[in-house]
Amino acid sequence: MSESSPAIPNRPACGPRIAQFLRTYYIYFVLLLVVAVLSMANLDRFDLFERGNFLNPNNIINILRVSAPLLTLAGAFTLLMVSGYIDLSVGSAMGLSAVVYALLAINGVPFLPAFAMTIMVGAMLGAINALLVVRLRITPVIATLITLSLFKGLALLLVEDGVSAIKSGGGRSMPAWFNDYGREGVLLGLPMAFWVAVLVTIALIVAQSRTLLGKYAAATGGNPTAAKLSGINTGGIVALLYVIVGITAALAGIARSSFMSLGDPLSGDGMELTAILVVLLGGTAFSGGEGKVLRSFVGALIIMALTVGMLTLVPAYYQTLVLGTALLAAAASNHLVSRKETAS
Amino acid sequence: MTTSRKTVETLSNDRRMSDETFITLLVASAAVGVFVLASAVVPNFFQPLNMLNLVTNNWAVISLGIGVTFLLVSGNFDLSVGGNVALAGVLAVWLAQSADGAHALSTGFGLPTTLAILLALCGALAIGGLNAFFVVRLRVPSIIVTLGTMMLARGIARVITQGSQRNTNLPDDFGVLGNLTLFDTAVKLPVVLMAALLVVAIVVEKKTVFGRLTYLIGANPVAARLSGVDKARHVTYLYLFSAAIAGAVGILLASEFKSGFSNRGMLMEFDALVISLLGGVAIAGGFGSVVGMVFGALILAVVTSAATGLVLSPDWQFILKAVAVFCAVTTQTWALARRHR
Repeated sequence: MSESSPAIPNRPACGPRIAQFLRTYYIYFVLLLVVAVLSMANLDRFDLFERGNFLNPNNIINILRVSAPLLTLAGAFTLLMVSGYIDLSVGSAMGLSAVVYALLAINGVPFLPAFAMTIMVGAMLGAINALLVVRLRITPVIATLITLSLFKGLALLLVEDGVSAIKSGGGRSMPAWFNDYGREGVLLGLPMAFWVAVLVTIALIVAQSRTLLGKYAAATGGNPTAAKLSGINTGGIVALLYVIVGITAALAGIARSSFMSLGDPLSGDGMELTAILVVLLGGTAFSGGEGKVLRSFVGALIIMALTVGMLTLVPAYYQTLVLGTALLAAAASNHLVSRKETAS
Repeated sequence: MTTSRKTVETLSNDRRMSDETFITLLVASAAVGVFVLASAVVPNFFQPLNMLNLVTNNWAVISLGIGVTFLLVSGNFDLSVGGNVALAGVLAVWLAQSADGAHALSTGFGLPTTLAILLALCGALAIGGLNAFFVVRLRVPSIIVTLGTMMLARGIARVITQGSQRNTNLPDDFGVLGNLTLFDTAVKLPVVLMAALLVVAIVVEKKTVFGRLTYLIGANPVAARLSGVDKARHVTYLYLFSAAIAGAVGILLASEFKSGFSNRGMLMEFDALVISLLGGVAIAGGFGSVVGMVFGALILAVVTSAATGLVLSPDWQFILKAVAVFCAVTTQTWALARRHR
């Protein structure tokens, strides 16, 4: 890290044009490759679009439905990492939001107020992270490790002893609308949760490329001192990004909870790892300063296609191995790309 | 910031105690404090057996904490230890299981126990080597690398055990190491090994060039490089060292339970990190000590066992951990700032 030149956002094109082209669009080729391999894998047993094959429309819809939480998180997490910070508490924040949302719903709060209140809870969780990191100056890794533990403990305490999650039973039942957000197709057979993820991503793409937020985030990650000296309120930017990540974690929790029709405090476990993985896969430099929201979104699609599509080929217990290998591969390829850029 | 001040202090031959001793004393008095408080408040807490259990029940995490502390002092994370515990245990069991089992999960390679254990240790070392390769050669931030190898190690363990565990068809001598009691007491071999390891680690840390270089690398990497320290080799050794401890812990646990369980050691990497932080190890590197880490482990053990004694739900442990780390980090920063005012 110390060797690399200070990262400048939108650094000018260098190297042969083909390499430049690959660097910008490789993620789409990886997605195509994964989809192609997964659709070929079962061709001996099923036709291309037949039920049982990857490209079956119902299967695609199903994968996109399951992907909603990760797709929602990927963009905000990218902006946070671009600014050089990290949030290990997103999984716990997601679990806590899922529990809060399910608790509100099962106690008779209608959809919209429950939705809005959960999002506010998410924003508050993000604000706690911002408080620890920006105000109290605790290293991001430690600060969000503390809140990882804190949010998880709160979520577990909200669920009464003896049951593992908030769900129908014991005289209470989930309202009929509870599933709709994460399961019921509203457009092209895809549920609200997926379209919210798309909207959030579009909003963040616009924020990154058309507003000062994106430029300031990149400046903060590329060279914090220079950013501060040129009058950027880096603390404010970072705090805002933590709050945005908190809100998307809440949206992810709502999507997951609605899809599973229960409020599981552990439903977000491991999400921080997957989020880091898709952001790295999208080519965001781990030292901050660079990265694109859209590419992380595509990275999330790749990971979800891979983990869900894989289930027809190998048993589920291969998942951890595949994710770990993908994370190391993404880290290694990021290194190779950035080394080439510094060399030329 | 603290480290640069510390260097200045050492240069000027300040008679006052070093920041490190100061923080260790602070952590030790905090440990004594929570212990006295727990003894006063929690019924049946103040009993000799209970005090012994505080240490012996935590031998695994304290052992892992040694490797993690050394790496943190050098400015690197190791979050792969929990996954490595699972991998080494599962590997040892798999290699030692006899080759004529009835189904896949009870069939292994039928190697002699000693050989199985040695090969399992090599497996753990391979993960350490991978960590070192990515951190040292490819210069990927250690937190990302070791999160990846954590998943990789646990992933391999899950594939070998098909997502559950292997516990049949094991030779009788496989269960010896983890259950051996020494000196006619209830103290088991793993606890004694932990104690021996602690002594070695403290001597290495305080009295050897290797130990002092670890601090230099963490405190000021540029100065270390300019004075000709081979940082790459040093950090590689530290990762191998930490992986070897994790492997040994995994094998001892597998032997104790006579099973290789793919979910064993879950969250141990976080606990090892938490006790180091409670013990005053600075995450930026160059600061902290093994003794502090042990006191950190005691604080965590007292707090969690006191919570159990007060009949709090086990769910409270996460919040207690969060509060403890928060208090530790803020108090230490505040105390050091006050000291240097």
